[in-house]
Amino acid sequence: MALIECRQLTKTYRKGESTIKPLDRLDLDVEQGSFLALMGPSGSGKTTLLNLIAGIDHPTSGSLTIDGQNIAKLSRSKLAAWRSDNVGYVFQLYNLVPVLTAYENVELPMLLHPISRKERHERVATALSLVGLADRHDHYPRQLSGGQEQRVAIARAIVTDPAILVADEPTGDLDKPSALAVMDLLTRLNQELGKTLIMVTHDAQTAEYANRTLHLDKGRLADDSVQAAFSGETATTQGAAS
Amino acid sequence: MRLLPFEYAARNLGRSPLRLGISVLGSTLVVVLAIAAFAFVRGMDRSLADSGSADNVILMGAGSEESIERSEVRPNVAGQAEASIFGIRSEAGRAFVSPEVHAALGVALEPDAEPVGQAVFRGVVPAAFQVHPQVRITEGRSFRPGADEVIVGELAATRLGVPNERLALGQVVYVDGRPLTIVGRFAAPNTVMNAEVWAPLTNLQIMTKRDGVSCVVLTLDEGEFADVDVFVKSRVDLELAAITERDYYRQLSNFYKPVKMMIWVTAILIGVGGLLGGLNTMYAAFASRIREVGTLQSLGYPRRAVMLSFVQESMLAAATGAVLGALIALLLLDGVSIKFSMGAFGLLLDGPTVGFGIAAGLGLGLFGSIPPTLRCLRMPIAESLKAA
Repeated sequence: MALIECRQLTKTYRKGESTIKPLDRLDLDVEQGSFLALMGPSGSGKTTLLNLIAGIDHPTSGSLTIDGQNIAKLSRSKLAAWRSDNVGYVFQLYNLVPVLTAYENVELPMLLHPISRKERHERVATALSLVGLADRHDHYPRQLSGGQEQRVAIARAIVTDPAILVADEPTGDLDKPSALAVMDLLTRLNQELGKTLIMVTHDAQTAEYANRTLHLDKGRLADDSVQAAFSGETATTQGAAS
Repeated sequence: MRLLPFEYAARNLGRSPLRLGISVLGSTLVVVLAIAAFAFVRGMDRSLADSGSADNVILMGAGSEESIERSEVRPNVAGQAEASIFGIRSEAGRAFVSPEVHAALGVALEPDAEPVGQAVFRGVVPAAFQVHPQVRITEGRSFRPGADEVIVGELAATRLGVPNERLALGQVVYVDGRPLTIVGRFAAPNTVMNAEVWAPLTNLQIMTKRDGVSCVVLTLDEGEFADVDVFVKSRVDLELAAITERDYYRQLSNFYKPVKMMIWVTAILIGVGGLLGGLNTMYAAFASRIREVGTLQSLGYPRRAVMLSFVQESMLAAATGAVLGALIALLLLDGVSIKFSMGAFGLLLDGPTVGFGIAAGLGLGLFGSIPPTLRCLRMPIAESLKAA
């Protein structure tokens, strides 16, 4: 069974008189441990899909089952608890809390879990070491470079050991060397720690890090390609999941 | 529910020193004002409430129940009341019956000078000290009967608008050119008497050109108000009305209701102004953090936790302002006396007054933060994350 199963997943918004449908009856399976890139033009529904999988938005209809649980049916408060247990989110603009140090930013999601201060400290230290910023733990975001900020954000996303990492244009605001470092880090998290990684990107080169790329258009799946690194050969299924 | 760390709320205050300054200042002003208004109203109420004793009954001229100063009672009423009313308190054979003349007279500091202001004079006999036990001579002595001597209350100078030293022992004041030597000072804390000038009854009768008195105050022991009422109703010829001293001052307190109301309305309007200012500041502060709110929620923090943290932040600023405001109010207002037509009263700055002021400041922090926080949290998380 796939880790993530979308069935007839639809999201509509009302904007004035008109109805916008960023996701239209999407069917999709994502296996555990895969690295999925979501591509497509603006308004194609890729960020909407990412947000639905991250549990920060509710679908209008259809089902979204993650690890056997249909999160489309969870209440707002249960969904918040589910997020803190299952998902780590990496944002394009890092979204670190400016008044907290790197350590405190990484610690923030841990405070939602009933564990001892000692264990919390160990896990924050481990996460910061993993992203290579152990020596910057007491720096505030304004004292870090963009690349370092994003690495702190990645540490924050993985500190609770979630099964799924979602990343919305994680390199969109970085220079090339920083972008490479961040992508190497995300790839390691996928390959070495087995995290299921779903990433929205506009950049084809960045998408190449993924082992599967979905192209969305007008809320539907336009193209689903599996890269060689993952499957042994590239396979493309036009509209496979629609 | 797991909460955001307190440090988050505390450090957020430092994000904009200007905003913090405005929030603290707003809260400080509201607290000072709330304390001042409450201290004024409570001071006035206490002054009038404590002036009346439950056991004292005032005999006044019928038809003049609303003002002792306008009341006219025949000279022989004191003696007749003492002889006829059952249950008047007495001590060592002296009944607690005090004929009194009340008059507001212009007081000059020099023989031929214009009066500097009006003081409430009370012409009394020694029994006055029995029926008004709140009055204690604190300096000097009482006046001698018939002498041009007076004793002054500790707030009389405030009522007259002159420095306290000007009414010190040995000083002379003038009423219609008549010199009156101050031979004593008295305290009657929290009562209207505290701002009065007391003189021998006969002297005040001469000065006010009247034969009778304004009223007769008597203290009941075993007797009840009904006993006095029976006397008043059976002696229609004396044209008297009886009212308990407490009811008389309660009635006066009602007379000042519009003044108190106006003070409250002013205080509330300024408080609402402070609240709107606080709301505006908080709307601006929280609006710039919509994306951060979305981030916190995406990490798994429930809306209530974010709300509580924002309220905490606002309350911290408000509490700082409230403490500052309370300190400023205590420094500026403690010991301040206000003059009014009945004399003068001290602002009542006690625990409940300061507590009320601090509560007003904290209320400002609470109600000033909830609408902007709700506005931030009403937005879907996905929308919040797109905010600039």
